Amino acid sequence: MEGVIQTIAYGIVVGALYGLIALGLGLIMGIMKFLNIAHGTFIMLGGYVSFWLFALWGIDPYLSIPLVIVAMFLMGLLLYKLTLSPLLKLPHIGMRIDNSLLVTFGVIYVLDNAMTLIWKADVRSVIASYTGGALNLFGTRVSYTGLAGLGIAVLAAVALYFILSRTYFGKHVRAATQDAEAASLCGVNVQQTYLISCGIATALAGMAGVVIVSSYSVTPTGGLSWLLIGIVVMVLAGEGNINAILPAGIMLGLIESASVFVVPIQYRQAIALLIFIIVLMFRPQGLFTKRG
Amino acid sequence: MLEISHVDVYYGDLQALWDISLTIGGGEIVTLVGSNGAGKSTIMKTISGLLKPKTGSISFEGIYLDKLPAHRIAELGISMVPEGRRLFPQMSVLENLEVGASVREAKKARHNTIRWIYELFPILRKRAKQRADTLSGGEQQMLAIGRALMAQPRLLLIDEMSLGLSPLLVQEISQVIKDINKSRKLTIFLVEQDVNMALSMADRGYIIENGRIQSQGDAKELLCSERVKETYLGISPVEKAG
Amino acid sequence: MSTITANWKKLLPSGVALALFLVLPLVMEIGTNILNLMVMLFIYVILSQSWNLIGGYTGLINLGLAAFFGCGVLVTHFIWSTGVPIYLAVTAGGISAMFLAGVIGLPTLRLRGVYFAIGTLALAQVCRIVVGNTFTRMVQMPISYVVNYNFISRYYLGLVVALIAVAVVYLVTNSKLGLAMAAVRDDEEAARVTGVNTFRCKVLALLISAFLAGLAGGVYAFFQLTFQFVSSVFSPLWTFGPVMAVIIGGIGTLLGPVIGSFFLVILSEIFALTTGEAHLIIFGILFILVVLYFPHGLVGSVDRVRQLIVRVGRSRLWKAIH
Repeated sequence: MEGVIQTIAYGIVVGALYGLIALGLGLIMGIMKFLNIAHGTFIMLGGYVSFWLFALWGIDPYLSIPLVIVAMFLMGLLLYKLTLSPLLKLPHIGMRIDNSLLVTFGVIYVLDNAMTLIWKADVRSVIASYTGGALNLFGTRVSYTGLAGLGIAVLAAVALYFILSRTYFGKHVRAATQDAEAASLCGVNVQQTYLISCGIATALAGMAGVVIVSSYSVTPTGGLSWLLIGIVVMVLAGEGNINAILPAGIMLGLIESASVFVVPIQYRQAIALLIFIIVLMFRPQGLFTKRG
Repeated sequence: MLEISHVDVYYGDLQALWDISLTIGGGEIVTLVGSNGAGKSTIMKTISGLLKPKTGSISFEGIYLDKLPAHRIAELGISMVPEGRRLFPQMSVLENLEVGASVREAKKARHNTIRWIYELFPILRKRAKQRADTLSGGEQQMLAIGRALMAQPRLLLIDEMSLGLSPLLVQEISQVIKDINKSRKLTIFLVEQDVNMALSMADRGYIIENGRIQSQGDAKELLCSERVKETYLGISPVEKAG
Repeated sequence: MSTITANWKKLLPSGVALALFLVLPLVMEIGTNILNLMVMLFIYVILSQSWNLIGGYTGLINLGLAAFFGCGVLVTHFIWSTGVPIYLAVTAGGISAMFLAGVIGLPTLRLRGVYFAIGTLALAQVCRIVVGNTFTRMVQMPISYVVNYNFISRYYLGLVVALIAVAVVYLVTNSKLGLAMAAVRDDEEAARVTGVNTFRCKVLALLISAFLAGLAGGVYAFFQLTFQFVSSVFSPLWTFGPVMAVIIGGIGTLLGPVIGSFFLVILSEIFALTTGEAHLIIFGILFILVVLYFPHGLVGSVDRVRQLIVRVGRSRLWKAIH
């Protein structure tokens, strides 16, 4: 019984992180129909920012989140201005998606190598006083960093929900998603909406990076594995279905956690990816959308 | 108020409009009629900024519109009810109206404006929380018009309002529009396939065929003209004589 | 054949270059460093032609090319180690990659647009994880192979396979299949409506592309006898490098991948000696610029420059006459 609770607890904690990773990815994909495969790289970048704030100025990663958010938000604006906005001129949606893949792949190349150059390929993580420590909850041990990650993921998802459903900016975002031309006829500056959304998405990536650098580790090229997880969650939730992303992430976390009973631990990620491919083939609209 | 001067519009390499010139004065209801594919919607899209003219100019109260993006044109006071309504399907009636008031000045006054829209179209108040894609065709058209009015425009463009609506509904809605034109001095430019309805409603009219303006003049005179009757109303001289 | 004789002026530079490549190592003493570099270049040419076939000509962005490459490496390595002649082993590598493509390609090809790219990326990662956990120790050849290592034969195998790759792409793109591929790339819906069997076309393109990538893997297995971490041949870098070569060189052209590979591999080597890792960043920026502003790559830019010169020349001539 203890084993089951431990598995569930672990699955929820890990899954929450998976959801956090996918939030920014799903935002850009849902709004602009771009796939930002450099998202993983931005996660690593956020982790590095947090790492250096800790290593040089002793700022605790979780306290550094506001700074990371600002820094990554600005990076997101740059990303949009330099690489994504030129793509909006393309007439065909299919061309836009394809080219967004290629462009962001170039961004990965540039940033990964830049990070390797500047910070070397060493594995970095933040070891703080609470690292490795855990809380005894409901008869099972949950690490402090895991709990913090869970908290941040929930906060981010809730904040995003409120922004999208209650604020005028959120209404602009949803309008631009559903009919960008009609939105501009209403006076919505669609390009600016896209710009700010990009900033929010990378800020979310940065937050995920903070969690990762304190619970796991970061390397300049480690972004790809996290990206794939984000894509899996995004597809499970369904395209454009941002509210379903955190639940989908937790579901993935639970499945992965439970698969330990079936498959050796090294193959866990492979299982997750295979499940993902099967879902893609038979239910591409995701598991959480109602319409077929 | 609005002056279109010798405008050519292309879709890629395909020319759609040739040497279009027309004017719209403040407080008027002006209509542009023509058959399917004649270029009516193209003109609307060009005025509202979704398309750009290759040559010629469009000015609104002295400001040139040809280089401005659509949202800037909306800010200047031109609002369009697009062809096919183009509501935000997954957003509620209320939210659609709110997005319509995205222009800064309009946003401040939106609560009052919404109240006014509900007076014009009471059914919208009833459906306020419903998703736009669950409304009937007529309700959607009313919402589309309401959304365009939220921006408190000085010029309202209406593109093919009557499509898919019953004649009774078209009557109702055109009455509302005539009333707004009188009470708020709102200039209206509407583009229509239903020639009868449009010319009965308007002060002046233009006729467009194959991307070129064929004739213009007082709406009532156009309605009575032989040409219009033959081409659009299906009344041939032989029948009339008999 | 007639098109070749008709265009002999355009083909002359390539012909000369080809002759040089064929003959030079036989008449000159070429250092092993340069031979190594050339083999890597040939592998890049094969891989980039492979990617170009499915990406540039058919419009399907395959982010999992490394899976086919790695498969070719492994299969060739193990077959060759049993004593089978290398050219048969390499062919086996190509065929095995084709099988892999059949198995994973058929389901992924039903995915629309971007999901095909994601699916291939995920599958390559799966391969990488599985292989990495299956072959945990170093993979190597018996000593006899190491002792008899001959750089020149690596060079020629690479060159021959590279030529085969270019020839295959040329033949395919100039066939009915090539027309179908172009139709799928430009507008799949329209193609299907006009009776093109788009699914069959995509499958064939993927199979041929995988075959070529597998051959490239075979060449690499012949070249690199020992693998510390075998999963490295499934690394995304083996996808990313060729993609960059194709895009920078000119997507959807026959020579683009070749030029792009030259550019990347040779310049990489030159820069590596001087600026360290920074040149990779420059390549990445160049890649982004090409995708955004010069979609026809180097090949296209050369064409455009040529057209510009002709246009300027003609207008000057016209002015001079009048």
